Amino acid sequence: MSATLEKGLNSFKEVIDAPIASFFSSCVHCGLCAEACLFYTETGDAKYTPIHKLEPLRRVWQQEYTLLGKLGKALGLSLPVTDAELEEWEPLVYDSCTLCGRCSMVCPVGNDLTYMIRKMREGMAASGHAQEDLIAATTRAVTIGSPMGIKWPAVLAQIKHVQAETGIEVPVEKEGADYLVLMSSMEIINFPEYLSALSRIFKQAGVSWTLAQDAFEATNSGIQIGASDLAREIVSRIVVAAERLKVKCVISPECGHAFTALRWEGPNLMGRPFGFEVKHILEVLDELHKAGKLKTQGKDKRALTYHDPCQIARRGGVVEQPRRLLNEVASDFREMPDAGVMNWCCGGGGGVSANTRAEPLRLQAFKHKKGQIEATGAHTLVTACANCRIVMEEGLEHYHMNTEVIGLTELLAQYLVEDNAT
Amino acid sequence: MKHTEVLPGSVGEGLQQRGVTRREFLKFCTAMTAMLALPPAMASVMAEAIAKARRQSVIWLSFQECTGCTESITRSHSPTLETLIFDLISLDYHHTLQAASGEAAEHARALAMQDNAGKYLLVVDGSIPLGDPGYSTIAGISNYDMLVETAKGAAAIVAVGTCATYGGLPKADPNPTGAVAVSDIIKDKPIINVPGCPPIPVVMTGVLAHFLTFGSIPELDDLGRPKSFYGETIHDRCYRRPFYDQGKFAQTFDDEAARMGWCLFKLGCKGPVTYNACATTKWNDGTSFPIQSGHGCIGCSEPNFWDAGPLYKALSMPVSATSAMLGTAAAVGAAAGVAITWHNRSTKAAARTAHEKVTAQELLREEK
Repeated sequence: MSATLEKGLNSFKEVIDAPIASFFSSCVHCGLCAEACLFYTETGDAKYTPIHKLEPLRRVWQQEYTLLGKLGKALGLSLPVTDAELEEWEPLVYDSCTLCGRCSMVCPVGNDLTYMIRKMREGMAASGHAQEDLIAATTRAVTIGSPMGIKWPAVLAQIKHVQAETGIEVPVEKEGADYLVLMSSMEIINFPEYLSALSRIFKQAGVSWTLAQDAFEATNSGIQIGASDLAREIVSRIVVAAERLKVKCVISPECGHAFTALRWEGPNLMGRPFGFEVKHILEVLDELHKAGKLKTQGKDKRALTYHDPCQIARRGGVVEQPRRLLNEVASDFREMPDAGVMNWCCGGGGGVSANTRAEPLRLQAFKHKKGQIEATGAHTLVTACANCRIVMEEGLEHYHMNTEVIGLTELLAQYLVEDNAT
Repeated sequence: MKHTEVLPGSVGEGLQQRGVTRREFLKFCTAMTAMLALPPAMASVMAEAIAKARRQSVIWLSFQECTGCTESITRSHSPTLETLIFDLISLDYHHTLQAASGEAAEHARALAMQDNAGKYLLVVDGSIPLGDPGYSTIAGISNYDMLVETAKGAAAIVAVGTCATYGGLPKADPNPTGAVAVSDIIKDKPIINVPGCPPIPVVMTGVLAHFLTFGSIPELDDLGRPKSFYGETIHDRCYRRPFYDQGKFAQTFDDEAARMGWCLFKLGCKGPVTYNACATTKWNDGTSFPIQSGHGCIGCSEPNFWDAGPLYKALSMPVSATSAMLGTAAAVGAAAGVAITWHNRSTKAAARTAHEKVTAQELLREEK
């Protein structure tokens, strides 16, 4: 068994639903989505116009689901979608789209182009036209359990390290805990500060939480590559573990697409509502702060700016929370231009960061973020997505910028009031 | 001021003989200049040109018509400015107005065509039947043959009235005589369309004055009408327009709103889609026009006005669809919608059935 064009075309037919049909039929060809796309504004190349990236899917819609299109197809007047065409479109769909959702915001007729690209990737993956690095990452996520090939012993090693550092026990497999904490591979490998910061904050706030041995990984390569069958398999691990441990809430870590995968796509993939809540870590921290359980002392003297991860702010609605939290610990917080729901992507979301072929384009696209950071004059960049963080660190390095990137959870932990007396 | 030299046989001489003073003549030229929207300085130029001009030979042919157009022009004959039309031109042939009849009349036409070959102005009112030449003949000559023959030596043609310009009432559905407009037959001559049922008399005099002054035809719109008279809709120039803008409409012809002179749009006024000068020049020496008399415009100067929907239905109401038609259309639409939806659903269901679970191994192609 392997991927074939037939499977891909069948998948296109399968994913076209009422929203997509209405989106295609209501497109007025205004081209505003181009101006909203990082890859267009930074290259000026019209092929990066978001709606153009959907052309093969649009033709399948037209030929299969519209009256004139059906007629045209029956008379042999329409151009069929071919392997060669999908191959040509592969870089457009996987390299030059981070599913950031900015185009969906500006579309005057309300077309959710991001939703369509996500769906189009289903057909690309089924026809064997997914990007090869993403295929490898997805294969690892399915077979090993993590896109970066991390297994539980690696997590265990980090737990031991954190426990030694903080003197706080990291709860594992604790049934009946309130929160199930997930992490992204990136945090396990590159940013161990996250787990350490979380342990300290939760200890202080008296939160009951746990890690799960078979569901520590929050990321979902199935979502990025566009294979719902695999995305379902990956997300079900978390659902099963959460229900086994009877937690009230699952915390999505500082990772963008993991939140999308679990919070928005998850129940649809499973075909049923979850018996627990899904929250992003920033939402949980904000709630703790509001309840007076997260106390901080002192303020960071540095000029700070905040990068809104697309999946968390624009697609996830978590916009106010990071600002409230930042204002607690920052004395000189500066907003970037277009901050909040219209923020510009780091250039590496939606699987683009895992795609080595896309690297030159990604670095070119990073120029936009570079300009935004420079406009604030800040040299410390706070964010809440490990993927944004690594992509921006690479970009800053490439452009020789003297800017440090830190996670918001980690920053909060630095100013935490640790009251050991109680 | 030195009087313009009076040439024998010229318009000037004719006017002098009839006792028209130079002052009266200049007043006419000034009025015409204003009517045609020309600069004021053109009045004296026009006076000079018209006074010197030999009287323009005009042949007037009447086909399938009611003589209303001629009536319209003669009504304004005396004592207003329009009187002068008969002093400016040499009306060599006109059924209603000529004294001659029979052979003599046709001889006058032949003579005028011969003497003024290439220079005479041909005025036509009435439509031309193509269904059967016998539907309308003059001196045994079919309308079609007479038009083609007379048009040959004309400098220009003025189609007067909606019948000659667009076919008019004779052409109304089902058009039993196969009536057509002048412009449907004559393609190689300049044609000025002066539509209206009947047209406004000053439009005629204006067109003639322009032709005599400049030796050319005035600027026309895409329907061949002089822009100076047909450039704006009745609605745009209507004195009841402020009521329309305020949403004040008469609902019946005898309600309080109608007595208050509110807008007649809801009573079927076609002013918004009718290009004509009625609201500005008005009729009967500037006395009134239909809307001022309390009746909506019927759009008589527009092509196919007779078939453009009921006269007393508001423009915004559907013209031809009956409730039965609408019901049928809705039913057909719904049935088509159901059929297409069913087909789309089956396409999608087939795709779902054909879905093979994607495994990690199946992300790659065999040939890769």
